[in-house]
Amino acid sequence: MEAFADFWATYSTLIFTVGIHALLALSLWLTLSCGLLSLANAAFMGIGAYTAALLTLHLHWPFPMVLAAGGLAPAVVALVIGAPTLRLSGVYLAMATLAFGEVTRILVLNLEITGGPEGLNGIPLLTTWWHIVLILAAAGYALARLRRSRMGRAFEAIREDEVAARMMGIDVEGHKLAAFTLGAVLAGLAGALNAHSTFFISPREYGFENAVDILTMTILGGISSLIGPVLGATILTLLPELLRFLHAYRLAVNGLILIGVVLFLPTGLWDSRRLGQMLRAWRTRWEGKP
Amino acid sequence: MLEQQLVNALTLGSVYALFSLGFTLVFGVLEVINLSHGAMFMAGSFAAMTVVTRFKAPLAVGILAAMLVSGLLGLAIDALILKRLRARHAPHLIPMIATIGATTVLTSAAQGLFGVEVQRFPDELLSTREFIFGSVHVRALELAIVGISFLLMTTLFLVLRHTRQGRALRAIAESPKAAALLGVNVEGLFMATSFTAAALGGVAGLLIGLNFNSVTPLMGQPILHKGIAVVILGGMGDIRGALFGGLFLGFAEVLSKAYLSSQMGDAVAFGLLFLILLVRPAGLFGRVLERKA
Amino acid sequence: MNRATKHLLFAAAGLLAISAVAGDLKIGVAEALTGGAAQYGVPIRNGFQLAADEINAKGGINGNKLVLVIEDEQGKKEEAINVFKKLIFQDKVLMIFGPTLSNSMFAAGPVANAAKVVAFGTSNTANGISEMGPYIFRNSVMESDVLPVTVSTAVKHYKIKKVAVIYGNDDAFTKSGYDVFKKVLEDQKIPVTTTETYVKGDVDFKAQLTKIKATNPDAVICSGLAEEAATLMVQARGLGLKVPFIGGNGFNSPKLFEVSKTAGEGTFVGSPWANTNPTPANQHFVEAYRAKYGSEPNQFAAQAFDAMTIAAAALKTVKVTGNLANDREALHAALPKVAISGATGPFKFRQSVGKDGKLAGYDADQKPFIYVIREGKFVLFTGK
Repeated sequence: MEAFADFWATYSTLIFTVGIHALLALSLWLTLSCGLLSLANAAFMGIGAYTAALLTLHLHWPFPMVLAAGGLAPAVVALVIGAPTLRLSGVYLAMATLAFGEVTRILVLNLEITGGPEGLNGIPLLTTWWHIVLILAAAGYALARLRRSRMGRAFEAIREDEVAARMMGIDVEGHKLAAFTLGAVLAGLAGALNAHSTFFISPREYGFENAVDILTMTILGGISSLIGPVLGATILTLLPELLRFLHAYRLAVNGLILIGVVLFLPTGLWDSRRLGQMLRAWRTRWEGKP
Repeated sequence: MLEQQLVNALTLGSVYALFSLGFTLVFGVLEVINLSHGAMFMAGSFAAMTVVTRFKAPLAVGILAAMLVSGLLGLAIDALILKRLRARHAPHLIPMIATIGATTVLTSAAQGLFGVEVQRFPDELLSTREFIFGSVHVRALELAIVGISFLLMTTLFLVLRHTRQGRALRAIAESPKAAALLGVNVEGLFMATSFTAAALGGVAGLLIGLNFNSVTPLMGQPILHKGIAVVILGGMGDIRGALFGGLFLGFAEVLSKAYLSSQMGDAVAFGLLFLILLVRPAGLFGRVLERKA
Repeated sequence: MNRATKHLLFAAAGLLAISAVAGDLKIGVAEALTGGAAQYGVPIRNGFQLAADEINAKGGINGNKLVLVIEDEQGKKEEAINVFKKLIFQDKVLMIFGPTLSNSMFAAGPVANAAKVVAFGTSNTANGISEMGPYIFRNSVMESDVLPVTVSTAVKHYKIKKVAVIYGNDDAFTKSGYDVFKKVLEDQKIPVTTTETYVKGDVDFKAQLTKIKATNPDAVICSGLAEEAATLMVQARGLGLKVPFIGGNGFNSPKLFEVSKTAGEGTFVGSPWANTNPTPANQHFVEAYRAKYGSEPNQFAAQAFDAMTIAAAALKTVKVTGNLANDREALHAALPKVAISGATGPFKFRQSVGKDGKLAGYDADQKPFIYVIREGKFVLFTGK
């Protein structure tokens, strides 16, 4: 039991971070499932984190309400900027969302209430492990339901062929906006949870590099199922810790692994179809050919 | 003050243009957002610095070293990574993520080899000559950067327009399949493009490193962000666009710092980028590439 | 069971978890060794290593050797927390030095404070660091102690009527320096012609400097780091802006002269440390650092070096029992009493008051000197 207490004391923050990153990866998975390549999710996370932290610090709201506000605030922003932005496609959308993210970061950097570059410190430790587990499970369940719903199928149709989807009578703009906004909710929740588990937030945590990190986790894990993003987030969060013994070169190894996955596992680490094939192959060998 | 600010804008814009030249070339031909271009920029700077400080070589050799080292690195990334991804028609995103991995590897290697502190070029190399016209001050090195940006841009433009290889490249940019059917050595030209673009990045790194006399493993990051903005503003893959986009961004940034507030310099750059994308998705000067991958 | 056997049992239990030899004093070092903040973290790590090696070469502390457990926190808050937890709960160190950035300290400091382990920052200058709790220490100089003297001295010397200000606005270190400058200028009733900013990674400051030049100030006040400040000075001279600079803590590095050469002539800097300070302790440090690392030390390295000396002085008075919690507490109790004379001159701690009005952590209590740059060197300003 003492061994576990030591382990938990040492690694609890790391485990929290895995959960929060998984939530972020799922938020991007949602936007990607509608064919939208967005780099705005880091900014949405930041908006959620700052909203939540300010509500806790200044207005002393109860934590569940703080979390809800942390999810809602970026959703409102997403609705406002989504309408004009989502007309763009592919890399142009990526670049527009990147620009939005940078403008948001610079605004936060220059506002008085956000503490500028010194950020907000002394945020109480309110996030517990079950908050993260609960929200992650709820998000996973909701997304799994969504995939099989009308809306989820519409997302998929839009991703495969926008023109065809439109001709089939799908409201392309509405669905895109929904995917973008729901993604923002998840990212905002992740931000609120993170702010209340690390005592401190600052604008540099929500920049371009972080947007790319989220993207990398999602793609690395694979977007063919919900397990992929969670797996990608887990691995990319734990890897630097596991590679700590490499010191100065651990980031290089991190990069090499990223290249390796992209080269040799085209659909990400977790591809349900590939796994299914492997399972079938294994089973036929086990049972012998009929 | 205005005259000086216009000169400042011109030099800053040229710096951006110089960086973006190779960046946009790769996008135009290979259709890859090559986020390792910042690392090429850094590698060129370090290669030149090593040659001139450790082996006491003249600057001309330094320039060659920058081009060669960066070019070969670019070639290696193409041969080892991008080529395989092309072979299996991976969507845009995938090569972009691979180049992020390559950047991490190169930056980390540079930190291991050269340390994390800022490195400086030896004094003898740095021309402190400056010209004063009325109230306007310009350093010789800055003039050189402006001149070289224009020169490289024009050369590249003419090569693409008037040589056989250039025409082949443009054919590839329109459709690699059709080009291959016409007997163009598509793979060879892709590799040549990767080499040239990276070599241009290396020279840019050297010149800019010289001008500000500061070389660090992370020097490619901030300018990469600006490079992305430039390439969007100018139209992705458009050689002239890199120059126009670079100058446009330079002027927008300097003038907003001069007449609005310096806090807003970067916000203006990206806010502008955002607005322009909404109004003219293909960039200020570009045309929409209606091509499906 | 008497106390000694109890301690022995505790120590034996502790040894199962750790691999250190009995008699080793484990000290955690959490600094940014990769990433953007590594340019500060690496000299800091060097300073610690240099001091620890010297102490061990002289036979250690009461016969025990100092063992540094060095971890890279990358200048990121999550990493800083992870590293702190690893050092506290897994490596079971007596105390922790670091992290490099104030931002990381805001995240990791509360962890150490809750675990009742000393977190000793050597480079955290932001306001509110030591207010986090009684286990937070720092020997980094407070800008608010230094800048009023620097500004008033320079104003008197150059007969300054009005100044322009420039600072890095995306960095906690330079922004908090600016906040102090702003307050000092208001207190001393010196008008500001314009306030300009730049961001990390910027290398072209000409737009801001041209604007500053047009407002015709008598001096430029700059809250920035030596690397940027040097480039800034060169570009200012290139634009014909010839007024002197007044700098904060960040200026305090020989790096300032590597690029700026003579461009920095006449700059005023206030600090307890300068590489040219002729005291034997400092000259010994500068030479030893140069010999070991082949480069010039800066203020970050000097403060790290002194911090290790301070910890060693405290450890000397502590009777190490092997009971981790007791030893940590004894060290915590001994630290505030330390007074040394190191590379940064005479040093002692001063307790700060937290937000709740209770006594909190400890700041540096040091006397700053004013240096002026002459012929590419920091020269002690004596009024001439």
